Amino acid sequence: MSIESISDVEFGVDLPAFKPDTRLSSASTFAKLVGWNAPRFNDHEAAKKEGLPGAMIPGILSQGYLVAMIHNWAPVANVKSIDTVFRAPVIADDDHTIIGVVTDINEDDKLVEIDLTVKNSKGETRVFGTAMIEIP
Amino acid sequence: MLLDLHTHSIKSDDGRAKVENYCQWIRTKNLELDGFVLTEHRQFDNDSDYSALAKKFGLVILKASEVETEYGHVLVYGVTKALQKEFDFAYTKNPLEMVIEASEAHGAVAVPCHPGRPKVGMFAHTEELGIPKGVKIIEIFNGGSRDQEDQIAIDNAIKLGYKGIGGSDSHIVSHVAHCATRFTQDIATIDDLVAALQTGEFEAVHITKPHAPIQL
Repeated sequence: MSIESISDVEFGVDLPAFKPDTRLSSASTFAKLVGWNAPRFNDHEAAKKEGLPGAMIPGILSQGYLVAMIHNWAPVANVKSIDTVFRAPVIADDDHTIIGVVTDINEDDKLVEIDLTVKNSKGETRVFGTAMIEIP
Repeated sequence: MLLDLHTHSIKSDDGRAKVENYCQWIRTKNLELDGFVLTEHRQFDNDSDYSALAKKFGLVILKASEVETEYGHVLVYGVTKALQKEFDFAYTKNPLEMVIEASEAHGAVAVPCHPGRPKVGMFAHTEELGIPKGVKIIEIFNGGSRDQEDQIAIDNAIKLGYKGIGGSDSHIVSHVAHCATRFTQDIATIDDLVAALQTGEFEAVHITKPHAPIQL
């Protein structure tokens, strides 16, 4: 269901799950575009030499996926903030899932808070956070 | 009685959950949870009174602390004003054995949490520092655990004769009630919780990853 107004939103409802593109080639392209042309975003072996489990998805790309997920669910939403806590790297070429759920609704101010969790293929939380969005 | 013994609210620097939203979430989702304990980082929240929320939602809401030591993070249940004078809750290198001793002297219980985690877990430091004295309970199920962290905790609890608790370590609303601790007796106050922990009559439960009973 696409959300068109604040009255469509219910506490506890799940946003449609979102599968981010975590291919190494995509991460590498994005990193180069934003000027982060570092081995940790381009090459699994080079990343391992830096002590990482593998090449990682840039954090701001993960944040972009979170915004995309919200807009897929509520195209009219004005995303006022995305607040993320990076607990562990999002490793490229591993399938991840983004889960979003509504955890607060302020109908007077037309604000909705969403919990966001990025999980890897083992179901481990890599990134969590909240988004505050305004829905007319 | 099932309590989530490790949760954070917006009072913690990395917490994003409002306590009322935890309550709403538990009730809206019909979760099998009778209450939760707020364990804010490096502090004890002396000011907040959640009794009205507890009554409104029919949940037990208790307050504790998560302090930091040279062995990693430690939950302290039964914090009093006097205990807060014994050591600096905001300091990140409190000696674990002192925290345990001071807690016991003031009728509180100290429990190393996520002990299998690199850097902030107790067993990341035992090879270098040795097995600390005084530990009786550790957190064996933590909702934020990755890889083999919980298994490391369980294996060491069995080896060293520790009891085990469970807690979600939730920082956002929807992460509450992933792990919890089941008690045989009713718990309404922090004194009840401390007494129950001291008796050892409890069982750690991982709610989102069903498991065989852990014999500790």
